[in-house]
Amino acid sequence: MSALDSLSLSIEPGITGLVGANGAGKSTLVKILLGLVEPSSGSAQVMGHDVVRERSAIRALVGYMPEHDCLLPDMSAAEFVSFLARCSGIPPAAARERAAEVLRHVGLFEERYRPMGGYSTGMAQRVKLAQALVHDPRVLILDEPTNGLDPAGRDEMLSLIQRTGREFGISVLVSSHLLGELERICEGVVLIEGGRLLRSERLGALTGETGTLLVEVDGDIDAFCAALTASGLTVVRDRERVLVELAETTGESRLREMYDRLRDAAVSCNVGLLRIERRRAHLEDLFTGAL
Amino acid sequence: MVPPDSETTIHDLGYRRYDGERIGARGALRALYWQGVRALCGVGRPAKAKAVPVFVVVVTMLPALAAVVVSGKSGGVIPIRYANIFTSQLLLFVLFVAAQAPEILSRDQQHRVLPLMLTRELTHGRYALARWGALYSVMFVVCLAPLLLLYFGEIGVATDPATTFAKMGKKIGPVLMQALLTAGVFTGLGSALAAFTARRAYATASIFGVFIVLKAVSVGLGDLSGSQGQAGELLDLLGSLRTMALILFDEKTRAMELTPPASVWVYVATMLVTSVIGALMLRWRIRRVAT
Repeated sequence: MSALDSLSLSIEPGITGLVGANGAGKSTLVKILLGLVEPSSGSAQVMGHDVVRERSAIRALVGYMPEHDCLLPDMSAAEFVSFLARCSGIPPAAARERAAEVLRHVGLFEERYRPMGGYSTGMAQRVKLAQALVHDPRVLILDEPTNGLDPAGRDEMLSLIQRTGREFGISVLVSSHLLGELERICEGVVLIEGGRLLRSERLGALTGETGTLLVEVDGDIDAFCAALTASGLTVVRDRERVLVELAETTGESRLREMYDRLRDAAVSCNVGLLRIERRRAHLEDLFTGAL
Repeated sequence: MVPPDSETTIHDLGYRRYDGERIGARGALRALYWQGVRALCGVGRPAKAKAVPVFVVVVTMLPALAAVVVSGKSGGVIPIRYANIFTSQLLLFVLFVAAQAPEILSRDQQHRVLPLMLTRELTHGRYALARWGALYSVMFVVCLAPLLLLYFGEIGVATDPATTFAKMGKKIGPVLMQALLTAGVFTGLGSALAAFTARRAYATASIFGVFIVLKAVSVGLGDLSGSQGQAGELLDLLGSLRTMALILFDEKTRAMELTPPASVWVYVATMLVTSVIGALMLRWRIRRVAT
């Protein structure tokens, strides 16, 4: 059985999504990077260290949040996380302090003294993230961190990951089978299928703000479009929405002037403005045809 | 008026880096060892987890205490028979290891905590060492405690403690030897078998099972050869531990006077070899646990 087949890629610092259907080889790739599984052929490096020959160098650098449950039910989160900090070689007193800090960071307060057997899925996922962070790794490897969470929990987990990655300079590799949820937080995406690499892209510019304003109005859209065109703007109508092209280099003042013209056009056509926002590119657009 | 740069602002410290000391594998080993010792004794665990350790310690100490009291009341006329008392407690030691070894070894697999430890400073080998060490230390104390009680009891109740103490110097060797080897055998087999399954009930049953099966095989071999073949007899580990105690404490039975057993060193070697085989099996198995 081979889970990965002639896969070759390099992942840059920042938050990177690892996307693929169930069984695509995401977990196998993650385990090879962690040194839990030895590749039958080929090699891999984490921050310049070979995963087979220099495993000991990688141990302190990497934090791992597995896909599966991994909590001891009759231990409290505080005990568990500080125990694992000590397993990373942090002295006992510092380990307790670190555990309290990261548990607070992931949003676990008084609950951290209760046995983990009674935790909800959302709390369990937070503890799993906390233990991956407790020894202050340089790279976080998160395997399906949003698994089993409800939409609100998903959002919280994703923004927690984003905060951790962006504000604290920790590189994150996060796997998921949902492309959509990663686009919000990732700077790059690796798409694999059947153990092979489909695409690997930097997203920064691609899903950043585009040169298009998205406007929604309430009322006579055709008249509104006509008014905008008359004032010299390039306008595309997309069903109930109006897309207004911006010039390549649009500064703040130019944008403000644009908003004024939209407002004036809306007033003159007597339509209500519902929404004006800069359109963002979507990951799905990028990978259309790939999945 | 509050000045804009007021000292009273509350900052969310959030995540902080850790630049403190890291003590590496040494700290990790110590953390895992002590976590193991605590789990084996049921410290910091619910009352249910304390039942077996407390029961075994109380029930093994009571007969020893009774023997000391009886011997004392009779003014030393009724001698304390170490081997008899120790032998009657062997099944309780089996109960202890069968109930508690899975507590540290099967549980880590059942709740899938191993990948979290193995991606930290703990290699497979260090994990096996710390688990073996914890079980051995606790088993050694459990096996030694009743013998020590007898030993100090015998000195205490003697009419002339000073001369008895001088005479007793010879006896501390057998006490330590018996406890060291008994703990080695139970730890070796118990830890190896517990590491083979994530289900605690299976682990407990297999540990009880192996001693019963070895006894049955030993009897079977004896029947086949017509006489009690000595090699087959050694396979009955509980029986051999008893014989070793009888020789070590010089409390030979009538039967043993008629057909003298093998030299005590044969028994010592058997127990040593069994201990080492068990420990190696544990290490071999831990290397192959699926993570």
